[in-house]
Amino acid sequence: MTVISAWSAVSPYGPDTVDFAAGVRDRRASPAGTVAGPGGQARTVPGFDIREALGRQGTRSMDRATALAVAATGQLLRDQADVAGDDTGLVMGTNTASAQSIMDFTRDSLTQARPYFVDPARFPNTVLNCAAAQGAIWHGLRGPNATVAGGRVTGLLALTYAGRLHRSGRATAVLCGAVEEWSTARAWLNHHAHPGGPTLGEGCAMVLLEPAGGAARGELAEVLAVTAAVYGAPGDAEEVLAGCLRRALAAAGTTAEDVWMTACAGGPEPSATAELAAVTAAVGAPVVSIADLIGDTDAAAASFGVAALLALAAGDGAAAGRVGLVTAVDPDGRVGCAVLRMTGAGAG
Amino acid sequence: MGVTEPAGDRVVVTGLGPVSSIGTGADLFLAGLRTGSSGAAPITSFDTTGFDHDIGCEVPDFEPVRWIQRLDPADLGRASQFAVAAAGLAVADAGLSGARLRDRRGLVAVGTTDGESRDLDGLVAQELAAGPGSWDPVVAGRVHAGRLSTSVARELGLSDVEAVTIATACAAGNYAIGYAYDVLRAGDADYALCGGADAQCRKTFAGFYRLGAMAPQMCQPFDRYRKGMLAGEGAGILLLERLDAARARGARILAEVLGYGLTCDADHPVAPNEDSVARCMRIALDNAGVKPDQVDLISAHGTATKANDVAEARAIRRVFGDHPPRTVGLKSMLGHTLGAASALAAVGCVLALADGFAPPTINHHETDPECGLDCVPNRAVAADLRIVQNNALAFGGNNAVVLLARYTAVGDGQPGAEGP
Repeated sequence: MTVISAWSAVSPYGPDTVDFAAGVRDRRASPAGTVAGPGGQARTVPGFDIREALGRQGTRSMDRATALAVAATGQLLRDQADVAGDDTGLVMGTNTASAQSIMDFTRDSLTQARPYFVDPARFPNTVLNCAAAQGAIWHGLRGPNATVAGGRVTGLLALTYAGRLHRSGRATAVLCGAVEEWSTARAWLNHHAHPGGPTLGEGCAMVLLEPAGGAARGELAEVLAVTAAVYGAPGDAEEVLAGCLRRALAAAGTTAEDVWMTACAGGPEPSATAELAAVTAAVGAPVVSIADLIGDTDAAAASFGVAALLALAAGDGAAAGRVGLVTAVDPDGRVGCAVLRMTGAGAG
Repeated sequence: MGVTEPAGDRVVVTGLGPVSSIGTGADLFLAGLRTGSSGAAPITSFDTTGFDHDIGCEVPDFEPVRWIQRLDPADLGRASQFAVAAAGLAVADAGLSGARLRDRRGLVAVGTTDGESRDLDGLVAQELAAGPGSWDPVVAGRVHAGRLSTSVARELGLSDVEAVTIATACAAGNYAIGYAYDVLRAGDADYALCGGADAQCRKTFAGFYRLGAMAPQMCQPFDRYRKGMLAGEGAGILLLERLDAARARGARILAEVLGYGLTCDADHPVAPNEDSVARCMRIALDNAGVKPDQVDLISAHGTATKANDVAEARAIRRVFGDHPPRTVGLKSMLGHTLGAASALAAVGCVLALADGFAPPTINHHETDPECGLDCVPNRAVAADLRIVQNNALAFGGNNAVVLLARYTAVGDGQPGAEGP
């Protein structure tokens, strides 16, 4: 069994994990700012400047998605000096890494005097594993290093992948999360793909996973089960998520009555409505919607769901020993849910 | 591992789905490997004007409608289309169908380097002509890399399936195979469709070209006069099952997956790290319960860049000593198909094991003494292979090595063989 022993979040509430914890506990929506792009508004990480956050060394060619991930990784390890080396893995979720980096690179190829007048130092940014690779480089993580992609379910797929690294003995500690940046490229892609969707958010949320009983620090939650499935027609999403929830609760050896709180990823319609309907029917309230709080963070949404449960459970006697659910429905045809047993431990 | 393991812990390959520049489907791909075909031809995917050379390895005459019936092919980018075609081929090759898989729990793991970056290329061109407001919503809606795996599941009508896209660059195919191995052994799925897919795109061609990694005409792994890689595309999907399940349905078993290893260099974003690559091979061998002298053939990452081939050869020598097994570079035939590369190479390894031959490294003139490997130059040779190692090294220092074995139904003392 895998336990979560630390977490971090760089979010629209602020660049520090404590900003996210405070914002979620107050249940206040993070403010939207004005941006250049369709919709004109976004919930970006306030004051997040790559060089201010990470220094000048090694950041000259770094893109925002990578920087958000490297910053969240750094915060996760801030008080965990023992976590590094050959047996420590990193699993990072993404959708298109930085669509902006990819499209800027192509734009240079199409507009410069020669089609190969592109910046070679930025080429790795255009490959989807850039954030995971840089996270490892910055923090000396030489164990299994993987990047997974799955729309708004991404964070749950990362959790599954990371848990299996434990179970198969391929890593001791695994840092696991997902990242999404706001960029004009992403805003335009989303504008065309999901017109009228929620305001876009961005950020990176991560957890430190360790084998149960093997954590060198307090256990915040136990990962009891993670389940994912695929639906064909949009009308099937609710039913497929409902089935997923049933299987996950059964696999976890628990029931809906034991659920203390559900974090729904949220996102564009009709997925968000299907998600809420399935959760309401299966387990009822209370529900916290990540998209309502910090905007549609897409690949990072479910990881923020995990972080929100950890923030809300910390020091809450009502949560201790009970179950937290994280759910996500993606318009691309994927659903997922995670079942966590909250310990209630952690800084309040 | 090996001889003492029950059938439920053993993972076997029962279906192959290659989509490549030298042939689509197991039979044509096998013929291509045996005869040392080259997929090299002038690139047609994008306008190559302004580049000094334009040779790549594209999948010729790919007809999406032949492979995609349940979904609308227009809703899928070319990488997803390749993945769907390859998965369909693998399922058919295994004597199965979507309908027969639907009531079983499954895994779909598709590796990729670029996802649908080819579509992003197209949108940039559209933007330059008429602004981003002009983007085609259908194209904008299909760019998420996650669609490579959901498209496979949806085309086959699979719902009770974990569909994950593993975007670990040019080692992604091996990552997906390794993940499937763990999932099946844990009993979390009854079958797995795993491999990788990528489509030719301007972005990646321009990037490798700028790095000086692109060869003008041909890919010559381990050759003294090698000039780099050729940009390829395609997909390789393998159907994996646990041995007990495969036997219960009377499946034709093509090979066994013995184990795998992953390491991260945590060092340089693009240059391979010899120590880390050697460590990855050792982890894979340990996981498979195989000693280096039991490996009969290595399918190298072998991009044919100066740096990769020397670093990889040195790492191989560190693990295997001064007389390493034959080490072939399939990219000489297929080009570098990125996320599909180690998946197509794994398909090649399975065919080599099952058919008893070592595929060649074509375009070979003179072996680089700094590499010093028997790369099976130019012509395939008959070979009694029992265990084959498949290497993959990616940008970001992400290494993945998979060990495959000829399947033997009765114990003969070899790892991977069934115990008494």
